[in-house]
Amino acid sequence: ENREEMLSSKSNRLTEALEEANKLFEKVCRAREAALDAQFLVLASNLGKEKANELHSEMTSFDSATFAEDLLSLMGINRTEVEENDSEPGGFLPRDAWQKVGEEALKYFRRAPTFHYMLGSFKSDPPVAKQRIERQKKASRGEAKQIMPAQLKKMEESHEEATEKEVERILGILQTLFENDPNTPISFFDFVIDPNSFARTVENMFHVSFLIRDGLAEIRLDDDKLPIIEPTKSRTVGEDIQGPGARKQVVMSLTQEEWK
Amino acid sequence: ELVQFLLVKDQKKIPIKRKDMLKNVIREYRDAYMEIVSQAGRILQETFGLRMVEIDPKLHSYILISSLPCAEANHPCRAKEKEKMGLLIVILSFIFMKGNAVKDSALWEFLRWLRVHPGEQHEIFGDVQKLVTEEFVRQKYLKITPIPLTDPPQFSYQWGPRAAQETSKEDILNFVAKVQGKNPKFWTSQHNEATA
Repeated sequence: ENREEMLSSKSNRLTEALEEANKLFEKVCRAREAALDAQFLVLASNLGKEKANELHSEMTSFDSATFAEDLLSLMGINRTEVEENDSEPGGFLPRDAWQKVGEEALKYFRRAPTFHYMLGSFKSDPPVAKQRIERQKKASRGEAKQIMPAQLKKMEESHEEATEKEVERILGILQTLFENDPNTPISFFDFVIDPNSFARTVENMFHVSFLIRDGLAEIRLDDDKLPIIEPTKSRTVGEDIQGPGARKQVVMSLTQEEWK
Repeated sequence: ELVQFLLVKDQKKIPIKRKDMLKNVIREYRDAYMEIVSQAGRILQETFGLRMVEIDPKLHSYILISSLPCAEANHPCRAKEKEKMGLLIVILSFIFMKGNAVKDSALWEFLRWLRVHPGEQHEIFGDVQKLVTEEFVRQKYLKITPIPLTDPPQFSYQWGPRAAQETSKEDILNFVAKVQGKNPKFWTSQHNEATA
């Protein structure tokens, strides 16, 4: 018991114990007690050897008791007036005691941060809204282009719903434009190209392709062989018994260079 | 994919064995193993700032450590991890300051001062004994070896290879110095050893 205490270079406990044993031995008259005494001597000599080891130890003496106390201070211990007993100082350790130590500890480690998947699905939100605000500003400076979204509505739905809304919105715009000028189909490029953003342009084309797929808009080549877009007139949709019109596939490519 | 595999496997901080890599990810590309691993290592280094270190040449197991200098506060780190690191650094400090190896009895007697008792459920750490003698050992932070000719058996606790990689004697000495508000040179021999 109390090995460490005995080993502490400041302690004379070992010597005291030996002296006590000596005294006791004089009273011994039974073999059993002699055996105990022998056992004690073996233990004591072991301890003595260890103590000697510690003296020769090359390490500058390190006082663990003070270290422990300083650690407790770092943890934010609330020291109480009354000491419970000698070996454990009284006081309250707060809940985050070990976190405080850990916080400091991390500064001394080159630990690879634990890898965790980021939670949450993609949301289209502020960055998108911001782009639209920019476009809106450019429009109000009086550009000639017909396509200017008036919307600043913030999108809070998930990605898929956002796409649908976009498609609807674009359909709305197309129809509005057409109402204003029913006989002039709109140049496809004029419609989709955003003069300020290549990415937006591609997005617009993407949304328009949905409209085509669903038969809500048509693309034709005009006399100059340039594509034009117009909303399908309701009668055409009714007459067409084959479903959403003859399907044609067109692959359109647009590089950033071309866009410029 | 090997990069992802390594990152996920590293969560538990248990060394990743080469055979697991082969079995789960590389499979049919066995012959290109060395090439794949070195590529993965490059990606880890360049994109994540992590180093792949072979921690056991016999078993060919690896760990990931950060190759960036010890960052300042505000690590994205969960509370549980922080608490364990706190306990770990205390243990590593004790071991180093006491001469690089301590007896289990000495360590646990020391931890008693900090209200940590083996065999008792700790409010924060739960089964502390298991945490120290099993988890920390498996993660290669600590090395525990039995001391011969002791009855009842006693054990010697030392730093494990991961500890040696992720921190250093100098870092730990600085930690102790900070806690105690003293200059690291106060402990001359430890300081000499740490800066050797």
